[in-house]
Amino acid sequence: MRPRYIDADKCTACGLCTKYCPKHLVDQYNEGLAVTRPIHIDYAQAVPATYFIDPEACLYLKHGTCQICVCTCQSKAIDFSQKATEKELQIGAVIMAPGFGRVPDATLAKYSYGLHPDVMTSLEFERLLCASGPFEGEVKCLSDRRHPKRIAFIQCVGSRDLGCNNGYCSSVCCMYAIKEAMVAKEHDPEVEITIYYMDMRTQGKGFDAAQKKAEAMGIKFVRARVADVMPWDKNLKLTYSTLDGTHSFEPYDIVVLSVGLDAPADAKNLGEIAGFALNDYDFCKTETFAPLLTTKPGVFVAGAFQGPKDIPESVTQSSAAAGLAAGLIAKDRGKALVHKTYPKEQKTGKDEEVRIGVFVCHCGINISSVVDVAAVEQYTEGMEGVVYHAQSLYSCSQDAQEVLKAKIKEHNLNRVVIAACSPRTHEPLFQETLKDAGLNRCLFEMVNIRDHCSWVHANEPAAATQKSKDLVRMGVAKARHIQPLPEQTVPVTAKALVLGGGVAGLTAALTLAEQGFHTTVVEKEATLGGHLQHLAYTLQGDTVSTVLGELTDTVKKSKLIEVLTNTELTQVSGFVGNFSSVLTTTKGKKATETTLDHGVIIIATGGREHRPEVVLGNPVKYSETVVTQRELEQRLSGKGKNLAPKSVVMVQCAGSRGDDLNYCSKVCCNHAVKNALKIKALDPAAQVVVLYRDMRTYGFAEDAYRQAREQGVVFIPYTMDNSPKFKSSGKKMSITFFDPILRDEVTMTPEVLALSVGIVADGTENLSKLLKIPVNEDKFFLEAHVKLRPVELPVSGIYVCGLAHSPKPVEEIIVQAQAAAAKAAMPLGKGFVSVEPTISCVDKEACIGCGLCESLCPYQSIRIIKDENGKRKAETITASCKGCGICASHCPVFAISMGGYTDEQINAQITAFGAQ
Amino acid sequence: MSQKDFNPKILGFLCNWCCYAAADSAGVSRYQYPPNLRTIRVMCTGRLDPAFVLRGFAEGADAIFSGG
Amino acid sequence: MVVGGGIAGVQAALDLTELGYYVYLVEKSAAIGGAMAQLDKTFPTNDCSL
Repeated sequence: MRPRYIDADKCTACGLCTKYCPKHLVDQYNEGLAVTRPIHIDYAQAVPATYFIDPEACLYLKHGTCQICVCTCQSKAIDFSQKATEKELQIGAVIMAPGFGRVPDATLAKYSYGLHPDVMTSLEFERLLCASGPFEGEVKCLSDRRHPKRIAFIQCVGSRDLGCNNGYCSSVCCMYAIKEAMVAKEHDPEVEITIYYMDMRTQGKGFDAAQKKAEAMGIKFVRARVADVMPWDKNLKLTYSTLDGTHSFEPYDIVVLSVGLDAPADAKNLGEIAGFALNDYDFCKTETFAPLLTTKPGVFVAGAFQGPKDIPESVTQSSAAAGLAAGLIAKDRGKALVHKTYPKEQKTGKDEEVRIGVFVCHCGINISSVVDVAAVEQYTEGMEGVVYHAQSLYSCSQDAQEVLKAKIKEHNLNRVVIAACSPRTHEPLFQETLKDAGLNRCLFEMVNIRDHCSWVHANEPAAATQKSKDLVRMGVAKARHIQPLPEQTVPVTAKALVLGGGVAGLTAALTLAEQGFHTTVVEKEATLGGHLQHLAYTLQGDTVSTVLGELTDTVKKSKLIEVLTNTELTQVSGFVGNFSSVLTTTKGKKATETTLDHGVIIIATGGREHRPEVVLGNPVKYSETVVTQRELEQRLSGKGKNLAPKSVVMVQCAGSRGDDLNYCSKVCCNHAVKNALKIKALDPAAQVVVLYRDMRTYGFAEDAYRQAREQGVVFIPYTMDNSPKFKSSGKKMSITFFDPILRDEVTMTPEVLALSVGIVADGTENLSKLLKIPVNEDKFFLEAHVKLRPVELPVSGIYVCGLAHSPKPVEEIIVQAQAAAAKAAMPLGKGFVSVEPTISCVDKEACIGCGLCESLCPYQSIRIIKDENGKRKAETITASCKGCGICASHCPVFAISMGGYTDEQINAQITAFGAQ
Repeated sequence: MSQKDFNPKILGFLCNWCCYAAADSAGVSRYQYPPNLRTIRVMCTGRLDPAFVLRGFAEGADAIFSGG
Repeated sequence: MVVGGGIAGVQAALDLTELGYYVYLVEKSAAIGGAMAQLDKTFPTNDCSL
C-alpha cells in the first residue's frame, strides 16, 4: 500500500492545502488539459474523499523543502511520516478487473496528434465537454481558445487496425462518439460535426435509436477511411477516401480521435503474478461458454480486461463474477463479516417533551468563511423545543461524534438538528451516532448550509447567513414533529423461480445452486435448451450440442434444482422475498396446477427467430433456396454430401433496423460470418457474397470478419434508399444490388439466398401483465437502470437475463444469467429484506378504499385488500416501497403518511419558511 | 417597485435523488446563484401535494420551485 | 479480493459484500471510479456519469 501522506480520518476535503501548495502539476484526471497541485484530489466527488500527495511532484518529498500544507491544514491531517506498507491476505477467490489501457501515442501520430493541439483524443474531448473540465464545459480549440465551427470524429483509431496489433473492435467508440457529438451540438447548435467511420456499430439495446437522433440533430455520418490529418493554416486538413475510390479533403477546427481500448499496460505482469493466460491481444483469455473464468481456477475476470466493452456489460460481468466467486467460497458465507451492536433504543413517546439539540458546523472555513456561524447558533436560542445549541469545527469528525453522544446524554436530547453539509453524504454517519447514543436514527434532521449556502453564495455573506438562519428555523420546525420509526425487515423464502429452460435459465439455476439455493426451472416446451438447440457451432468453433448436453446434465443431476417442462407460470402474487406462484403443467390434454412459494423470480424466457414475410420491400417465401442463417447453419452441419452450396448471397438486416423490426439484433453479423467461414472451410471454391449495412462484428469477432475477407468472402454494403431487389426465376432467386466500387447494378442468381433475420421477444407482453413489469417499444423487458442495474427490473425481487432482455450472443447471455443469479442470491442469502423507514403507511381507519394509490404507485407497492369486515383498504407492501410519496400526495382523505416526510412535518417547514 | 429591487422569496421542493443532488453538486463546483431559495427535501417530487404549494403561497412565497 | 477499482471492480466488490463476503478492493490510484469518473455523460441517455 502506497502512502497518501494524509490521514484519511482527519482530512475533511476542504481543499485549503491545494490552494496553498506552490507547485504546479499536470492534471491527469483532466487528461493533461488543466493543472493541479501535488497535493490534491482528482475530482470533488472522489472516493475516498481524502486528498493525497503525489510523491513524485511534492517539494518536500522530492527536495525536503516547503511543507506549507502542514501549517495550512486546520485538521492536522498531513502526515509525511507515512510509509509504503505490504499486506499479506488470505483470500478465497480473486476477481480481476483492471480495466483497459491506452492506445500508444505513436498510433495517433499520423493524424497529427501531438503535433497540433486541436487534434485530441475522445477522452480529452470528453473533459472539454464536462462542466467540471478545463473550460467549465465550454468547447474551445486548445490552440487559440476560439470556438470551433467544424469538428470531425475519426473512428477506429487504434481499433480494427493490425498496424498497431489491435485487430479487434473496441465496441464502445461508435457510441461515445455519437454521445460526444450530441453533447457538443447541445453546447453549440451551430457547430458542424462529421463522423468518419467504417461501420457504425450501435448494436446495443436502444443504441440505433440514439444514432438516428444524432442524425436528426444534423450530425453527419460519412463512411470513409481517413488517410491523414495535417495542420493547415489555422485549421486542420483531413484527407479521406470513400468506397468509390475518390479522395477528398475538408478543413476542421477540431479533430477528435475515437481511440479504442487497449489491453491494460500491466496485463502481462498481472497474468504472471496470478498465473492466468492472456489472448493474442493481451486481454484475459476466456472461453465462449465460460466467459468469466481465467485459465487459473479461483481467478475470475470482469470488465474491459475480459474484452473491450461498455459500462452496462462491465457491470453485468462484475455481478456475474461476484456470483461465481461466491459460489466457489459458499461455505464461508458470512464468516468474516463484522456485525455491529448498539445500545438499547430509548423510548420516545408521542407525548414526551420535545428536546432538540442544534449543532452548527464551521466545516473548517468552508461554512464559517461566508456564514456567520455564531449568529446562526445564537439564532436558535429560545426557539420552541430547542434546549441545547452549539458550534463545532468539524461536526463529522470522530471527536465531534463523541461530543454529540455526550451532549445527547447530558441534556437528554430526543431530537438532533445538524446544520452542516449534505444529508446525502453525511446523514448515515450522524444516524449511526444517534444509534450509538441509544436514539432512534430517524430523530434527526440535517440542514445543508454548505453545499446549498456558503459554497454557492460566497460573495454575499449577509444573505448567506440569513438563508442559513431560515433553513435552520425550517429544520427545527420539522424536528419538532419527527417521530421515531421502526427498523423494518421482511423475511425471505430462500427459493428461486427461474422462468425459461434455455441457456440463460439453466445457467442462472446452476449459479444459484452453486451458492446453495433451491431453484425451480419452468420450461414451456418439452425439452430444455431453448434457442441454442437450433445452433450447431459457434464462431469460436465450439460444438453447441456437446456444451448444451453437459449443461442440461449438470442441471438434471443437481439436487437443488427442480425442472418442470411443459409448464408455464399462470398466476403470481406477493412481493420480494414472498412470492407465491401457480404453475400449470400441460401433459397431452391434461393440465395440472402446482403452487410454489419462492423469494425471487428470474426471467429467462428467451426470444425466437424473426421470420419476416417481406424483406427490404421484397416478398419472401422460405424454401430450399431462400433460407434463414439458422437454416443454413443446420444444412452446413448436416451429414449429407454437398453440404456447402456453390454460391450464396447473404442479406444482412433482413427485417431489422427499420425494415420491419426497428432494432439491431446484435448476432446476425456474427452469424453470417460464421456460416460464410464454414462454407469456405467445406468448399474453398464456393462463392459467398454478403450484402450489409454495417458489419457489426464487434469485439474479438472482428478477427473472424477479417479472416472471412482473407478467404475470399465478398462484403458489399447497401443503403436503405438503394437496397437489394429479389426476383424469382424458376426455383431460384435472383438478387440485384448496387456495387459501390463498380458503381453499377449487379445481378446474381445464387444457389442459396440466406437472410440474416433478427430475434424477436417471445411472450414478454403476457408476462409483463402478469408481473406488472414494463417492456420497451420493441417488447423486451426494461431494466431498472440501463447502466448500473442492467439485470434488475423495476419491481424488487425480479431479475431478467438472456434474449428476454434484448438480442445478444450466447457469451453475453451466460454472463447475464450469472449476474441475474448473483443479484437474486442477495435477498436469498440474507434471509430478509431490510427496508428504509421512510416508506408509506396507511391509516386503515381513514382509508376509504378508493384504490387511487394502487393505480398510481410506480412500484406496485401499495395494494387494496379486504379487511376483516370485508371493507376495501389500502396496504403498503413494505418490502418494495421506495418512499416516493405519490400515494400520500394523491390520497383524497390524507390517510397515507410518509415516514420522515409527513404532511405535518412538511407543513411545519412551510409555516416556518413564512415566519421570518 | 422596480424590477431591480424585487427580491423574491422562493420556496423549493427538491427531490432527494436528482434536484437535491444537483444542488449539492452546484455547491461542490462552487456555482454562484442568487440567495433567494429556501428548500425542503422530499424523497420524490411525487410527494408534492398541491396543498403544499398553496400553503407556500399563503405563507408569503413569491414563487414555488419544484425540482424533480 | 477484487483487483481494480473502476466500475467493474467496484460493482463486483459491492455485490460480494451483499452476498455475505468480506472483500478487499485493491486500486492502484488514490481514488476509485476508474475511467467512468472521467466521463461527462453516458450513452445513450446522456445521464451524468459521476
